[in-house]
Amino acid sequence: MSKTITTTFSHLAVGVAAALGTGLAVPAFAADTTWAGYVENATYLRDGVGLSKFRNTGQAQFETVFETESLRSLRLNGTFRGTYDGVYDLNDGEFGKGARHNYLGENWHDNSTLSSQALLTPGVPFPCENDPTLCNNLDGYMDHKESDAKFPDFNDKLDFIRELYLSADKELTNGDVLSFRLGKQQVVWGKTDLFRVLDVINPVDYSRHNIYDELEDIRIPQWMLTAEWRMGPNEVLDDSNLSLVWNFDKFRPNNLGTCGQSYRILDAGCFFTSSVGPVPIIHDVEEPDWSLKNTQLGMKWEGVYGDTTFSLNALTYRQQLPSLHFRGNPLGFNPAAFNPADIATYPFAADGVFDIKFPRVNLVGGSVDYYSMNMDAVWRLELAYTEGEEMPRDTDGHKETDMLRYVIGFDKNIIIPELGTRSAFLFSTQLFGEHILDHEADMPNDEDNWIATMLFKGFYKNNRLSPQIIIAHDFAAEATVFAPSVSWTPDNHWMFNVGLNVKTGGKETFPWSAAQLPGFNDFSGQYEPLARFTNGPIGVANQEDELQFTVRYSF
Amino acid sequence: MYDNDNKDTNMLKKTFFSAAIAMTMAAGVQAADIPEEVIQQSFYPYKEGVPSFNGLQPGMTINQSNVDQFKDALDPAMYMFVKNGDTEIKVGETTDFALHPSYVEATRKYSADVQLGAGQGEISPTIAGRPFPQEPSLDDPRAGEKLAWNYKYGYNWGDSAAIMPFYWTTRDMASGKKERTIKMNFHFLNFTHRTSQEPYPKIEPNPSELFRGIYVQVLEPFDVKDTQLLIHRFEDDTKVDNAYLYLGFQRRVRRLSTGQTTDAFLGTDVMIEDFEGYNGRISDMKWTYKGTKHLLMPMYNHNEMELDTETHQDEDGYQVIAFGGKGGCFPNITWQLRKVYVVESEPVDPNHPISKREHYMDAQTFIIPRNITYDRKGDMWKSWTIGQAHPDHHLPVNKGTGVAIDDSFTMIDIQAQHCTTGQFKGIVDPEMSPVDKFSVQNMRSSGR
Repeated sequence: MSKTITTTFSHLAVGVAAALGTGLAVPAFAADTTWAGYVENATYLRDGVGLSKFRNTGQAQFETVFETESLRSLRLNGTFRGTYDGVYDLNDGEFGKGARHNYLGENWHDNSTLSSQALLTPGVPFPCENDPTLCNNLDGYMDHKESDAKFPDFNDKLDFIRELYLSADKELTNGDVLSFRLGKQQVVWGKTDLFRVLDVINPVDYSRHNIYDELEDIRIPQWMLTAEWRMGPNEVLDDSNLSLVWNFDKFRPNNLGTCGQSYRILDAGCFFTSSVGPVPIIHDVEEPDWSLKNTQLGMKWEGVYGDTTFSLNALTYRQQLPSLHFRGNPLGFNPAAFNPADIATYPFAADGVFDIKFPRVNLVGGSVDYYSMNMDAVWRLELAYTEGEEMPRDTDGHKETDMLRYVIGFDKNIIIPELGTRSAFLFSTQLFGEHILDHEADMPNDEDNWIATMLFKGFYKNNRLSPQIIIAHDFAAEATVFAPSVSWTPDNHWMFNVGLNVKTGGKETFPWSAAQLPGFNDFSGQYEPLARFTNGPIGVANQEDELQFTVRYSF
Repeated sequence: MYDNDNKDTNMLKKTFFSAAIAMTMAAGVQAADIPEEVIQQSFYPYKEGVPSFNGLQPGMTINQSNVDQFKDALDPAMYMFVKNGDTEIKVGETTDFALHPSYVEATRKYSADVQLGAGQGEISPTIAGRPFPQEPSLDDPRAGEKLAWNYKYGYNWGDSAAIMPFYWTTRDMASGKKERTIKMNFHFLNFTHRTSQEPYPKIEPNPSELFRGIYVQVLEPFDVKDTQLLIHRFEDDTKVDNAYLYLGFQRRVRRLSTGQTTDAFLGTDVMIEDFEGYNGRISDMKWTYKGTKHLLMPMYNHNEMELDTETHQDEDGYQVIAFGGKGGCFPNITWQLRKVYVVESEPVDPNHPISKREHYMDAQTFIIPRNITYDRKGDMWKSWTIGQAHPDHHLPVNKGTGVAIDDSFTMIDIQAQHCTTGQFKGIVDPEMSPVDKFSVQNMRSSGR
């Protein structure tokens, strides 16, 4: 159970007032602080590999509510997390700085195509502990050391501070409320599970457990200021709210997992530490420096109209996935003169094939929830149109293209007495769509692709026993994940969960132009390097079938 | 639609009534449409004396040995519990739970011409007060429906109130083991039918014509912390409630389908539809008046009860009601003999998880302290007790509010031998339930 502590603040009060620019004379005030948290062990066993996660997490969160007459409410929230993943000590043959792969992509496909047999070297685990050149090339992104993977929250970004923000509400004379929240925080837009359409303000750490952990636990909090003008009801709308979010933190991209980690989405981490012969795949990472113009800004108007809740969103931000910019041979490239033994005849520069960049993206979108009385079900629609994103392609590294992403969700509660419980089962399904407006034939991503997800969750023994199954299918990758699990919550403190995570698919290939050069003449499909985009996060993890145990003690 | 009426006419009528309220309240004019004896009988049933039952005396205890003598003063479930030795009933004096004078006055002025519509869940425009103060008649086939409207538009928690905090504990009745305790805050607000807290009779703007809001915020334990529930009920009873759920770990508001309102709320034995005795639309049920009885009801003075010294402490020195009996499933309170309307409600939806509820409505207040739920086979399934505390013997802030304070509850799953108990700190204070607390945006901003 959480603990409440009452104390008195005065200096902090002055700081709060100053920080918010309220100019209010805030007297010393009493404050109630509540603490809560948990300790957790997650032990996952991967088929053919053994231990893939032995993650031990402690998390504590507090909320201090200040009593002040000047503001409607004033509170300080913080969440701190410390994690130690023992898999790098307990299974160091598979994961960690000493792990070695026989070929690139060993963890998701066979060695039957030329690209992984002869053209590309295996990725180098934790390059900063094995290869200074690669470490230097990747400086600032995906250059974690093994200790960073063991203790992912303890780094110079202070990631152990999951959140720390101050919130203040001020009621205006007309009854409207102005609200500010300043600090390290998560800002959540949208209404979808597993995959994100509008929920893109915070980057995501996929190295924790691919796409499968709650976004709450894998969003990378950012230092932001949010301001809201809560207008409440008017003659037309039951609720209306305008909000601004200013992400003034230094840009951070998604963490895809460094080579050597047990979870590396799309196996990107190992691709980035691979080489074509002696030429590193990555030459440099151009992370935007902090500057005012590099900050990110969003606006949302949302409301309730009858049975419909809606939002309209606009955001200028940076692409959180890396865009690979091809670096051609400065001397030019003559296919007829290509000699695999002579780097000078290669089509790309001798000191690295790609630079990683994170382009500016502008997004407009919206979302709608609608309750259908006839179906006794809820429909969710979410849409995002972006300009400025860059998609990978074969012959030119990337292309800027407008993108359209959308999701249609359907939620219904169903009572099925035949399944032995009077509690309703939750049935939730979603269809994600992605359309590349300026599609090219050499893009590994289809012009249109869809991912369907389904959640079916039941409740027994007063919700303390809860089985569920999650299924997700990627149509282009022809890849599917099945994730059944059962959780048991005997009391207010303990929770036990056992689950399976089984994938199929990931067999799609995509021809790579480098394999077609004279001397190789392989025009067949290749796994490496482009098919990782075709097969997506489910297909590329096709050999990561796991049995997963989690035990948590909350306080 | 209503009898001989149409929507435009209704709107016009509402406008007229609003003006009429303002005029009559300002001028202190009393309409004389409802005979005063009807008002007196409806709101002050004990003015001429309290009911009696042969052998029943305040201060005595009904237990396994003497329960048969008092069988007719108990509802069937309570009789069964006492007969089984699961609990005993301490008898208190019958006391006057007089509602706030503004509600009585509103009834005098605005209920004279209230009538049911042609269809289930339809009623002519109402402004405030008890819509049908007349005694129900077994000869009236729609008497049950009228009583249901009296409950819906009853004074209940007044115009607004909060339960802060509210402890729900799930228990294994056989072993007495406490399983989970959920700590929450509940808030209630009437957008319309207001009589005692400004503004009245309604809050504007109110574009969707909401009647009432219920807002719930979960404080503990960790796995459900920050869960929030918001229910909007419409003035138009034929319209399905809008319900919203905020899950702390998802950090977003989801719409709820009504299937979840008949589901176990947070794994307890209570459905959202059970809240306050019945928390749904009149039109969702077929209502039948079964008669008037004098029965023992869980109504008492909180400050004179046995209190739980462990669960809650605060600077007010307030403590919650203690529980005992089999499995700790029964509140340690006194019960008093009261005039009760027995009403049955049968779900219109054949797929509803229950076949019927028996409601024991307190005739003076129209709260529902006792309910018995029957499963789809017709067997007794759940017993729902909501202990009511007199506001003048509770927190000082509640004195004079005329609100029968929901103060303790137990929902017993008789078939599963399982129960959920509730311990309240009910506060009638409009400052604690401002209008914007009942908005979707408040859920987002109050969450993490």
